[in-house]
Amino acid sequence: MKRIKTYHWFCILLLVAGLTFWGCAKKEAEPIKIGGIFDITGPTSAVGKDYAQACKDAEQYINENGGINGRKIQLIANDYAYKIPEAVNLYKQYKDVDKVFVIQGWGTGDTNALKAQVAKDKIVYISASYDSALCDPAKTPYNFFVVTSYSDCIRLAMQFVKEQGAKKVVFTYPDHPYGKAPIPAGKAMAKELGLEVGPDEIVGLRAIDATSQLLHMKEFDPDWAWIGGTTPSASVTVKDAVKLGLNTKFISNIWGFDENLLQLLGDAGSERIYGMSPVAMYGVDVPGMKPILEFNKKNSPDAVHTVRYIQGWTAMMVMWEGLKRADKAGQLNGPGLKAALETLKDFDTGGLAPPITYSPTDHRPAMSATIYKMSQGKLVPVKKVSIAREDRFLGW
Amino acid sequence: MPTGLFHSTYQEDEKIFRTVWLKCWMGGLLLFLFIGFPFVAPSLSGVFGFSVQHMANMIGIYIIGAHGLNLLTGFTGQISLGHGAFMGVGAYTSGILFMKAGWPFWLSLPAAGLVTAGVGMIFGVPSLRLRGLYLAIATMAAQFIIGYAMRNWTSLTGGSGGLNVDRPSFFGFTLDTDLHYYYLILILTIVATLFLKNLLRTRTGRAMVAVRDRYLSAEIMGVNLFKYRLLAFGISSFYVGVAGGLFAHYNLVVSDEHFTMWLSIQYLAMVIIGGLGHVLGGIFGTIFMVLLPEVLRIPTEILSNIYPNIFAIFGTLRELVFGLVIILFLIFEPDGLAARWHTIRAYWKLWPFSY
Repeated sequence: MKRIKTYHWFCILLLVAGLTFWGCAKKEAEPIKIGGIFDITGPTSAVGKDYAQACKDAEQYINENGGINGRKIQLIANDYAYKIPEAVNLYKQYKDVDKVFVIQGWGTGDTNALKAQVAKDKIVYISASYDSALCDPAKTPYNFFVVTSYSDCIRLAMQFVKEQGAKKVVFTYPDHPYGKAPIPAGKAMAKELGLEVGPDEIVGLRAIDATSQLLHMKEFDPDWAWIGGTTPSASVTVKDAVKLGLNTKFISNIWGFDENLLQLLGDAGSERIYGMSPVAMYGVDVPGMKPILEFNKKNSPDAVHTVRYIQGWTAMMVMWEGLKRADKAGQLNGPGLKAALETLKDFDTGGLAPPITYSPTDHRPAMSATIYKMSQGKLVPVKKVSIAREDRFLGW
Repeated sequence: MPTGLFHSTYQEDEKIFRTVWLKCWMGGLLLFLFIGFPFVAPSLSGVFGFSVQHMANMIGIYIIGAHGLNLLTGFTGQISLGHGAFMGVGAYTSGILFMKAGWPFWLSLPAAGLVTAGVGMIFGVPSLRLRGLYLAIATMAAQFIIGYAMRNWTSLTGGSGGLNVDRPSFFGFTLDTDLHYYYLILILTIVATLFLKNLLRTRTGRAMVAVRDRYLSAEIMGVNLFKYRLLAFGISSFYVGVAGGLFAHYNLVVSDEHFTMWLSIQYLAMVIIGGLGHVLGGIFGTIFMVLLPEVLRIPTEILSNIYPNIFAIFGTLRELVFGLVIILFLIFEPDGLAARWHTIRAYWKLWPFSY
């Protein structure tokens, strides 16, 4: 029976530890709570970690700079490992226990899974998924995101490759809501421009080899290929293309193109990979970058950040502005924040992202992006592009 | 006055609740689950920091699925790595029948079970020839085939965007809150548990156990191996299908991402940690597997508020601890939680005169 006794002791110990932790947590004053659903350990963690860190840092920055007209905010950040059920768990926790009215979310799959519920519960949901399906307030009134949508990016990319003289294109993407979301828009645009579209290739988010897909692609021999994955899978795709001697050039969605490519690809990627980035790269000389650099110099001088950091930071800044306006109107709640965000017109983030505009009938934040390319160990901007805000492109 | 439990008839020996005390305890538990729990849940949520009501609902749904797998793996000795996908079949069937064909909820849910049972039996056919690891690989095929269909049969399943499901209503009463679902799930979980417990006392149940213990002897005794293995796959899939249907109507969205290989393995972990071949095992294992990640989240949340600069590390830490706890558990508790429960009960029964 000795083992049972140890077992009991173990239980008591756990209980004591748990209560202590609980006690610690309860001491804080009453800040405005914000739910955070991030991917730190899952398939998109390569880009998700920095984004989450940015949101957490921005929380501190906001609190140090006046908060919401004097009130502090508290970001309850949790990892959901890119699993929809986990996101649903977290959502219920934020809704029922923490009683939040705004959530900083992450992926396309989970944001889409929750969109009906956030509309019913009137909780503003700012996602890192820039899926166009979230832009139509008639369908998803409480969903927001802060930069140019995937579909508009893929349309711009198609226009760009057409200018570059492309005749044949192929779409590569992971078999995931995130990868698949913009593909219909891309294909429609390619058709409109008279580009020949080859068979799609599926490259997983955690792929370490894309040889078979690229061998298949080689038969079609496209001039340009779209990459709809994240940075690690984009680097695998380009590396294998070089290895197999393809002449294809690649243009990547925002999540597949950042500073880490330089290390992952080395010289192989030079002049080979282009990226759509509506957001400024980390450390670029724009006014909005100064507070970020100062903040990090003070708090974590050794940390290395990428464009993901800017994306997360921007999402928090837009939310901050919305909360401030909602508070001024005396409506610090879900519908109030939604209404406040919809008053944003050409909101300037200091050059971090294109000016942001929401309206009650259109949640597309911006319509422009910068095309970057990798050249001689650097990411250099090639061209600023933008597409007209047409109603026919709303919502897909 | 007898000094112990002495059964003088077979009927007594086979009773589920053998003593008056046990009946009292069960009655108390049911009373608590039906009346007490909904009142306690909100304050418990405040203590733990996650939605206890929601977790209870999820546990209920997964218990039904875990019972299904326990019947197949724990009682009939057939391993399956396809139960995650089968749950998906149930979820999509119920969702599609409800949303697209306009069936009422009380019809679409059993239909989900039946369709899943059919699918499960198809993938169970290899069990006639394959055993152990080979069967595991064969059932894994279900995971890939069904997963692919869920992702790419866009006209039916809505593809990767998922299928949105409306709240179900019974005869004019709409299930609006988590509490409404709680009662529905609780009742179905009790029915599922009682059915499983009773099934094992029947001819069919004994035949299944015989197949597990030594299939050659069972065949010599006249047990039709193929029939009982297939039956086990069918009933097991029915359970998981119903769980899937509930899941769809509870989460209001069905997407292929729910029903991956990971879910199949999670189901296996539930029954193994709970205790293979114990009805209680499915219940304990599910509670453990569903709650552990949530409980581990509490320290990470607090630590990340104290050290915001390195908070990304804590998320990783949680996954590590999760893995570690499961490994430690299997080493120190190889017979599962159900066996531990029996030991503890025996200890208290004789307390303080244990030897």
